[in-house]
Amino acid sequence: MIAAGGRRLLAAVNPAAAAAGLAPGMPLADALSFLPGLLTAAAEPAADAAALVRLAQWCARYSPWTAPDGGDGIGIEITGCAHLWGGEEKLAADLARRLARPIDFDGGIAHRIAIAGTLGAAWALARFAAVPGRPALPPPGTEQAALAALPVEALRLDPTTAAGLRRVGLCRIGDLYPMPRDALARRFGDTVACRLDQALGQLPEPLSPLGETPVRRVRLSFAEPIADPADLCRATERLASDLAARLAREGWGARRLGLAFHRVDGRVEEIRLGTARPSRDARHLAGLLVAKLDTVDPGLGVEDMILALFAAEPLPAEQTSMHPFSRWGRGGDFAAASIAPLLDRLGARLGLAAISRLAARESHIPERASISVSAAEVNVVPGLPEGLNPEARKPDAEFMDAGSGAARCPRMTKEGNAAKPPRPVRLFSPPEPIDAVWLLPDDPPFRFTWRRRPYRVRCADGPERIAEEWWTEGAAVFSAGAIRDYYRVEDAEGRRFWLFRAGLADKPLTRWYIHGVFS
Amino acid sequence: MPRSAVNLDALRDRLRHLEQPARHGVLPFGVAAIDAALPAGGLLLGAMHEILSAGGDEEDGAAAAGFAAGILARLVPEGGPGPVLWCLKRPDVYGPGLAAHGLVPARLVLVAARRDEEILWAVEEGLGEPGLAAVVGEVGRLPMVAGRRLQLAAERSGVTLLLLRRWRSATEAAAERARPSAAATRWRVAALPSADTAGEPGVGRPRWRVELVRCRGGVPAEWDVEVADATGHVSLSAGLVDRPPAASRKIGRSAAAPGRRRTG
Repeated sequence: MIAAGGRRLLAAVNPAAAAAGLAPGMPLADALSFLPGLLTAAAEPAADAAALVRLAQWCARYSPWTAPDGGDGIGIEITGCAHLWGGEEKLAADLARRLARPIDFDGGIAHRIAIAGTLGAAWALARFAAVPGRPALPPPGTEQAALAALPVEALRLDPTTAAGLRRVGLCRIGDLYPMPRDALARRFGDTVACRLDQALGQLPEPLSPLGETPVRRVRLSFAEPIADPADLCRATERLASDLAARLAREGWGARRLGLAFHRVDGRVEEIRLGTARPSRDARHLAGLLVAKLDTVDPGLGVEDMILALFAAEPLPAEQTSMHPFSRWGRGGDFAAASIAPLLDRLGARLGLAAISRLAARESHIPERASISVSAAEVNVVPGLPEGLNPEARKPDAEFMDAGSGAARCPRMTKEGNAAKPPRPVRLFSPPEPIDAVWLLPDDPPFRFTWRRRPYRVRCADGPERIAEEWWTEGAAVFSAGAIRDYYRVEDAEGRRFWLFRAGLADKPLTRWYIHGVFS
Repeated sequence: MPRSAVNLDALRDRLRHLEQPARHGVLPFGVAAIDAALPAGGLLLGAMHEILSAGGDEEDGAAAAGFAAGILARLVPEGGPGPVLWCLKRPDVYGPGLAAHGLVPARLVLVAARRDEEILWAVEEGLGEPGLAAVVGEVGRLPMVAGRRLQLAAERSGVTLLLLRRWRSATEAAAERARPSAAATRWRVAALPSADTAGEPGVGRPRWRVELVRCRGGVPAEWDVEVADATGHVSLSAGLVDRPPAASRKIGRSAAAPGRRRTG
């Protein structure tokens, strides 16, 4: 029962009420006059839609290509899957049996099933030809004959068009076949011809699946539902080894996986994970999945487990990882393989974005000279000899400031590390503003306040001028002025800071910042 | 009695073997004074070492990070420099700064986690991976049980663990300092005013005060050292080695008065 426009209407009726003459859309007052003892409950369209989505997810055990169809149906694309169940009839029978179980979906679901060559034909047959207990299964290629006897409402037309067709005398779909298409289009619009062509297969109508479609899938069905964590572990290991064998045959490594648990009561639980490098090591993948098993609630039991591969990358045979605890993993080629499982374990709990490496870039600007690259993006392994690792470069050349744009203080050249201007160990991003007091415009500050603590400067080096890289297009990194003058200052206790002034000294809007702390 | 003397020596040998395994090797500092103070003659590999900050640096831990970078630069296992796992809360280590102390930034794998428990978990996972050269963890709270577990894990796998302690509040710092530590050595590194280079203005050679606060089998000591150079070695400050001219006059005077012992 729903409330619409101040009146209360019936949204849906059960078979007993329908037998008494009630129909959806009837006002509640009329319905009560028919059946005084009518039980009503408020309709919850959102909860109904969510339940339909859950049912579609459960139907993924037959094929990953499922989607809710309208408000009261589910479309499943079973091309190529039917042979796994022994044929379409057996598949329909299995589906009917499971949907009717009382434990499923809180009491079983009344349903009608149809399997046909097109989505439109299946929709029509399911609603107008199938009866509960007897699915409509026309032989392949005979949709035209099967549809001919159905009323025109089976073509998914809106009520006015259907009523218009009936008025003209076209009551069955079979009556539409000999009619010229342009006459139908002129009189009733394009939808009639379009729906007819879709139902007969002359116009393609793809089904958009609910979730991401997997590249490969392995399924394990249990005769008896299991709920014991040890059993789930064993099943996970079996699935992982099946998938790894398949990947080995094809030369791929897994990057993203999903393990779905189909429970007996119709709910689906899922684990997702990704790896830092493509892997087809069954033990490693099983270990990562088992580590997340405690987030899954098996409920009354799990009857299907489906391991789906969503993203894979080519993995030639010689790069397969060694035993993760091999003592050979201390350098040379084996360092690459032995650390990747560790990164996968860390990434499984903290997220792959939490793992990164420092990469050097040719840039004067300090925050661009060294950037962190997430492990999920790059397949670079640390510690590998340079010849094997295409991304590695010689460190000396990279981390030296190219220097032609920076006017360096001559004092620095007398220090030990002459060619490289000193850089702090800790860099703040973004730089923190400070209050500085200075004497002459080009002087470093003699006193500054940072994080609400005052510091008195004893000596300072600088300025090192770093200007914006005029050759790169894009917005300025610097907000107040494109020029920074960096000073390395030391306070009375010996702590050394890296301060800079943004903007030219004689302009009124100069701001001081601290960019890092030296060791 | 000779027999009890023999038993005593055997007992001392056994005790020494039990107390200081040093199974995985030692990393000497290259400075005689520091190596002499450490029982194994250097930093124990395959063990947990804590590095604290002092003097206002507790929140940033810059001196501690530089000290750790110097150690890691020299920690090269056989087979070449291996990867180093650095676990921290905010990724604020800067590659060029670490390179100045000799640590090649390409060796680092940074792991960012928000809570201390996650950092300790990541550190423990890293300690179980013998392919790593070392693990660095920046933690605030370290319960005693967790510290003991990390020390045992490091001994088992041979991966050296450097724990940098960073605290955001003074109360947390005081509480954590008072807690007993399970580490093999506990250091405190603070920045010192730089040594003036021949009267030139500006920042001179940067220096640290390195204190060995606690050492298993050793005695606490402290040294004023120069900051780790491009090879990762610290060196004792030149001020202690080259005495200024005034002291040599004192030596001359006391040599003229024999029999008086000169201290200094």
